Amino acid sequence: MKLWSEDKAQNFVPFPLDHLLAWLTFLLLTFIGILNQFNMGEDASHVYKNILWYVIGLSIFFLIYFKIDFKKIPPQIYLISYMGITLLLALLAIFKKRWLIIGSISIQPSEFLKIILLLFFSYLFSKRREGSEMIALWLVYLGLLGLPLLFLLPVDLDYAFIIGLTFFLFFVFSGLPKRLLFLFIGLGLILSVTLVPLAWHKLKPHQKGRIYGFLEPQKYYKTWSYQLYQSMIAIGSGGMTGQGFKQGWSTRLNYLPAKHTDLAFSVWAEAFGFLGVSIYLTLYGYLLYWALNLTPKIKDPFGKYLCLGIFFIFLFQLFFNLGGSTGLLFMTSIPQPFLSYGGSITITTYILLAFLFKLAKRKFIFK
Amino acid sequence: MIKKKSFNVNLNFSPKNTEVIDEKILTQKWKKRVLILHFLLFFLLFILLVRVFYLQIIKHKYFLKKAKERSVATYIIRAPRGEIITSDGVVIATNKPIFQLYLDPEVIKDYEEEILKKLSLILKEDFGLLKERYYLAKKKYLGRILLKRDLSWDEVSKILVRQYYLPGVIVEVEVERYYPYGEIYFHLIGYVARLDRNEYKNLKEMGYSPEDYIGKSGIERVYENYLKGVNGQVEIERDAKGRLGKIIGRSHPQPGLDLFLTVEHHAQVGAYELLKGKRGAIVALSPKDGSLLALVSSPAVDPNKYISGFTPEEWKSLQHNPFKPFLNRALQAYPPGSTFKLVTALAALERGIIRDPRSSFFCAGSFNFGRKVFRCWEKRGHGSVDLFKAIAQSCDVYFYNLGLKLDIDYLAKMARSLGLGLPSGIGFPGEKTGLVPDRAWKRKQFKDEWYQGESIVVAIGQGYLMTTPLQMAKAYMVLANGGYRFKVFAVKEIRDKQGRVLKKYNPLVEETVPINSQHLSWLYEGLKGVVEYGTGKAAKVPGIQVFGKTGTAQVVSLEKKRANLEHHAWFVSFATNGTTGLVTSVFVEHGGGGGAVAAPLAGEFYRVYFKLPPTHPIIPSGDVLEEEAPPAEEGNAIEGVSDR
Repeated sequence: MKLWSEDKAQNFVPFPLDHLLAWLTFLLLTFIGILNQFNMGEDASHVYKNILWYVIGLSIFFLIYFKIDFKKIPPQIYLISYMGITLLLALLAIFKKRWLIIGSISIQPSEFLKIILLLFFSYLFSKRREGSEMIALWLVYLGLLGLPLLFLLPVDLDYAFIIGLTFFLFFVFSGLPKRLLFLFIGLGLILSVTLVPLAWHKLKPHQKGRIYGFLEPQKYYKTWSYQLYQSMIAIGSGGMTGQGFKQGWSTRLNYLPAKHTDLAFSVWAEAFGFLGVSIYLTLYGYLLYWALNLTPKIKDPFGKYLCLGIFFIFLFQLFFNLGGSTGLLFMTSIPQPFLSYGGSITITTYILLAFLFKLAKRKFIFK
Repeated sequence: MIKKKSFNVNLNFSPKNTEVIDEKILTQKWKKRVLILHFLLFFLLFILLVRVFYLQIIKHKYFLKKAKERSVATYIIRAPRGEIITSDGVVIATNKPIFQLYLDPEVIKDYEEEILKKLSLILKEDFGLLKERYYLAKKKYLGRILLKRDLSWDEVSKILVRQYYLPGVIVEVEVERYYPYGEIYFHLIGYVARLDRNEYKNLKEMGYSPEDYIGKSGIERVYENYLKGVNGQVEIERDAKGRLGKIIGRSHPQPGLDLFLTVEHHAQVGAYELLKGKRGAIVALSPKDGSLLALVSSPAVDPNKYISGFTPEEWKSLQHNPFKPFLNRALQAYPPGSTFKLVTALAALERGIIRDPRSSFFCAGSFNFGRKVFRCWEKRGHGSVDLFKAIAQSCDVYFYNLGLKLDIDYLAKMARSLGLGLPSGIGFPGEKTGLVPDRAWKRKQFKDEWYQGESIVVAIGQGYLMTTPLQMAKAYMVLANGGYRFKVFAVKEIRDKQGRVLKKYNPLVEETVPINSQHLSWLYEGLKGVVEYGTGKAAKVPGIQVFGKTGTAQVVSLEKKRANLEHHAWFVSFATNGTTGLVTSVFVEHGGGGGAVAAPLAGEFYRVYFKLPPTHPIIPSGDVLEEEAPPAEEGNAIEGVSDR
């Protein structure tokens, strides 16, 4: 009596090392995230509230990881949630609201938009023959992407831009025809040359200020670039080993504005220095690297696209947040996964991670 | 790549289509994509890491400095200045603790008005005035603003209980300079004042803080480096709202060093009392070593006022005071008048022009040189005059004769070897070196030859000649001690707070002037005659021997023609009681005759110094021979010489 079929025995891999490392990374990043909540030096209630978010996030993570089977989800759900969030964003745009406030909880819809768009497009892409579709279809996809972003644009310009960019690259790497790609690049160039001067006048003063502040952080350090300058001081004063847990001047003495959300990285960098940043980037980078290498191995097309999308979302979230707080890019108000405080970001981060680790399960890889 | 010409794109998401995909090609495609994305991933991670490296490692020092500037308030604890003590142990400059109210403009910049309003209520001061004071001070000084000094206990407690609502308001116990004797020592020890913006800019390299005080004149300035001490500082964390938190660093101030002066307190006070209400100076030196015993210039200013602040009226009246209280007259140059005659006499003796002191000239009241007529102050003439009588009666004609025979360069050399025309060595800023004219000087200044007629004028202490009262005292000191030209010094020791002597100033002989002792005794004889029977009888003090010479310096200035100004009165002398002695130079600006005005002051001063009973009144009795300056005639009046 054979316990294993030949086929199965050959394919059996006793929990590969990279998966083990990925789980370890996951745990360490969660630990770093919770550590940074304490590190912000706020009063206990604030910290515990966020620990609660971590508990909820992790619960959702394991719920998805163990209980939810993508195959059993009716595809209509993706379309319905897409339509739902688009409608919600349209309503919020009408009322000029960035946050959806239900009782005492405020939800940032743009965080959840990422997940819904990701699932929606991953499903759409998986149900087509790659390389055979017409341009018209791609235009439809682009239109479907643009619609919710159009509503997001007036209330959350930063997020609309970053989600747009993330998904455009997601499209490019999911088989966007080259003609269309070049057309868009060309169009983008022409538009930026012609429209930027026009759009400049349309920008709100605080948006213009950010650009001034980005270009000359020293000059406008009291006004437009206050946030950036304080962030740079916080990061820079961390040095090699940092000022110590809960010891950072900028953090402790409240010089860092938005230290819970946008500048949570600066809090980390100030307290733990270049060493701490290197650890964080290594862990985060490893997770991205692992996700990227997972992509081609996944046999299920839906999972393949989902995995690629998760990679892009995490990559750009990191790049724009860190780029903004180190003065490399314009300051954008997007939070950093793990480090930042907030229900929406914590929960969406763990949802995406749940997807990722679920995809890494053998049954997805060896279908 | 699969190229399908037909538009067979299936929009109904049936799973059938996926099975048709050529897996091999697709796998290759994905591999290519992942490869590109690897590059993208590592590129972005690399950029971020490099950027963080740049901020945290390369620019670390810069940002740490910025962070510290922003989040740490550094307050200076001013070091108490060293004390200044006279040789008889009287502390004449000290420190006293007081409560100061400071505002930190950095902290309160966004709610200045609000804070000032609250303070005006607490201090019960007019809001407008307080505001004006604050903004004026902010413009002038860097660092914290001293809004009010010397707070009362009541005010201190009122502010301290409200401290949480008054960010940026600091009450501090500080030591402040205090001069117990005020005006008496103003011109000697000078005063201190807070650094202003420009001074701070120049001095910050030397460890000064914007809130420091610095010696502005006199000993306070000359010995600034010793007196100052080293400031301490406190580093306190400051949050984004400007509230101060815990102290993270503290260094204690090191007090300045104490100066022990050679000055004798009772002499200084006595001199000050004598000059009250007059314009002038009294300088006393010890002929033993050149140490300063007293230096008073009148009128003076209370140096404490530079710390507590002058009211605008006080300041204005001081500024416009015609008596110029800021001027240290002991160090200003004036024509020495007849007091210089002793120098002329010494030069003539040493040169061999006078071989016998009894040989005489005839004074008929005037002296003819070429077409010019030089008059003696005694219009009737002194008759036959020998050296002793010439000094005692201050006969001009006798000295005109010496001037005629003396070479100006030799006379100038003699004057300089007595210290005239040279810095006295006391080193005060603003000290004038005076002027001893000679041929080289004339050539340089006027591009002209020296005329013997000019020597005649110089011989009686007029003309281009300018000396300070301190220089005259120094010159007579050289005569008194038989030729030792000591450097004048006022500080004998510098000690630290434990009493260890860190620096000791020993007498320094600048030059030993070879004076024939016979000549010296003849000059002493003459000087004794001045006090015994000559022009300076008012300086005669029973019990001590005074050797002196009166001087009445003619004031030639354009002002003279407008306002009938009196001459400058001089009396330079030395006295001994057998065991100790001193040299004194008394100068009264526009005081009148030296014999009538300066000599009695010198006499009184000696009484004070030797602790003899004073005479009352000081005004001399009628039988004093009054010397006058030679009348200003075209012949000997030299334009341009003035007391200014």
